[in-house]
Amino acid sequence: MESPDRAEQFIPAGLASLGIETDEIELAVINAAHAMFWPSIRDLLALDLGELEPERDQDLSRAPEQG
Amino acid sequence: MSVLDLSLRGQAAAIAAGEAEAAELLDAALARIEQRNPAINAVVETFPERSRAMLEAAPSGPLRGVPVVIKDEWPLPWRAQRFGAAEMTAATAPGESGPYRALRDAGAVIVGVANMHELGASSTGNTSVYGPARNPWDTERCPGGSSSGPGAAVAARLVAGSVGADGIGSIRFPAAYCGLTGLKPTFGRSAMTGHHMDGVSTTIVSGPLAADAADCRLLGSALCGTELQGGNAAGLRIGVIRDAVSEDVTPEVREACETAIEALRSETGGEVREVELADLDAAALATVLIANVESLGSSSPERLNNLDPEISPIGRGFSKYRMLLPAAAGVKSYGIRTLMRRRIANLFEQVDVLAWPTVPAVAPPLEAPLVKLPSGTLTADQANVRGAGLANLTGIPAISVPVGLGADGLPIALQLQGAWGRDELLLDAAEALERASERRWVDSLPPLAQAEPADA
Repeated sequence: MESPDRAEQFIPAGLASLGIETDEIELAVINAAHAMFWPSIRDLLALDLGELEPERDQDLSRAPEQG
Repeated sequence: MSVLDLSLRGQAAAIAAGEAEAAELLDAALARIEQRNPAINAVVETFPERSRAMLEAAPSGPLRGVPVVIKDEWPLPWRAQRFGAAEMTAATAPGESGPYRALRDAGAVIVGVANMHELGASSTGNTSVYGPARNPWDTERCPGGSSSGPGAAVAARLVAGSVGADGIGSIRFPAAYCGLTGLKPTFGRSAMTGHHMDGVSTTIVSGPLAADAADCRLLGSALCGTELQGGNAAGLRIGVIRDAVSEDVTPEVREACETAIEALRSETGGEVREVELADLDAAALATVLIANVESLGSSSPERLNNLDPEISPIGRGFSKYRMLLPAAAGVKSYGIRTLMRRRIANLFEQVDVLAWPTVPAVAPPLEAPLVKLPSGTLTADQANVRGAGLANLTGIPAISVPVGLGADGLPIALQLQGAWGRDELLLDAAEALERASERRWVDSLPPLAQAEPADA
């Protein structure tokens, strides 16, 4: 899990690199959202989906064609 | 009893048979909104002259003369959607949205625009540029979001039917919290044109909220442009999963849903099968990420630096945080979608529906939307998305059906999910549940909606 120190760096650095300005309240919201989502996002990023066969011509209104 | 207290289909039938005057029904709906809406803030705008013009031009469709409300997510010819916010980053303009056309062509009369959670960004409905909508069962509780107004309006019987939108459970949450039936149709099946995310979003659909499945079928047929024909759910194979979605729920929700599943099995002469579906947490996260990434097209640093200060701090902060989401997480999310679509396609060869609680706890307080679950205290949004995201991620239809009242007198709901295109089966199953309970839950009314002498 990411340490709070790293989050403190990531958020302002990321926003600054994009030129996005925030006030204190917005920053508090962003930090809260980051604390909520980031551990799960890191778990997601750790998944290896390289072997997953892509679903070609995916149509969400229908079942996938089974190979 | 006022005609307005009849079901959606009852109102349509009374008008078609000449037993009720559509103009009088419209006036009654407007008067009801004036009377009851201040307590719940479900309807944020009415336009009596537009509504009367709609009625005068109404064709003899299946909903001729029936008043309905529509979520502030869809443009109307005389009003752009505001998405519950002081400002949208996407462009908006008045216009004939798909749901508007569907309602108009069915003969329905739009009597008002319904409130919604700001920017569609929560399952609670506790934040909106119009102020929060309130739950008619307890006005200090969340009505559910983001289709908060459509839920509260029908629960309070301002109207008998409403149109919502569901990108991550946004029809099913208010249906659950407000004791209604809400259908999230198969992706792409219901009217979507005119939505600011049409052609971009791969999770959002329009859909109906109503008191029961038959009314959802009627309104859903209009939205889908095809009759959602009734059948029977005989021999229904019900899949249940032993996972957080069914087990990390409050004891009263668990008991009511397990009772309902057994009643559904008995009513349909079917069977309950325990099945496995791994990675539901990853699926929920993937749904959230996809929905957020897809809405970034109209965001830019310059735009975000000049957001209307009337947007809530949470809305402003989260809009900015989305810009920091890693692209790799978006790509992985689409991979999870592919994985889950294949897994549930295999599951739907073994079962006809998957059943678990729509939400793990009854409606939380507006002021602090937290839920206490066996695993601990979570925000309602964290808890609710776990059971709702799968349908939006994969495209399958889902329905929320009321199955009880908790100790606080607040509704409890069961969600049923079916394979792609099996929306009708979900409605059939919901009707079977209603029969099994002798309509006890769909006919329950919050105190606010119980007819008063002045209403008669």
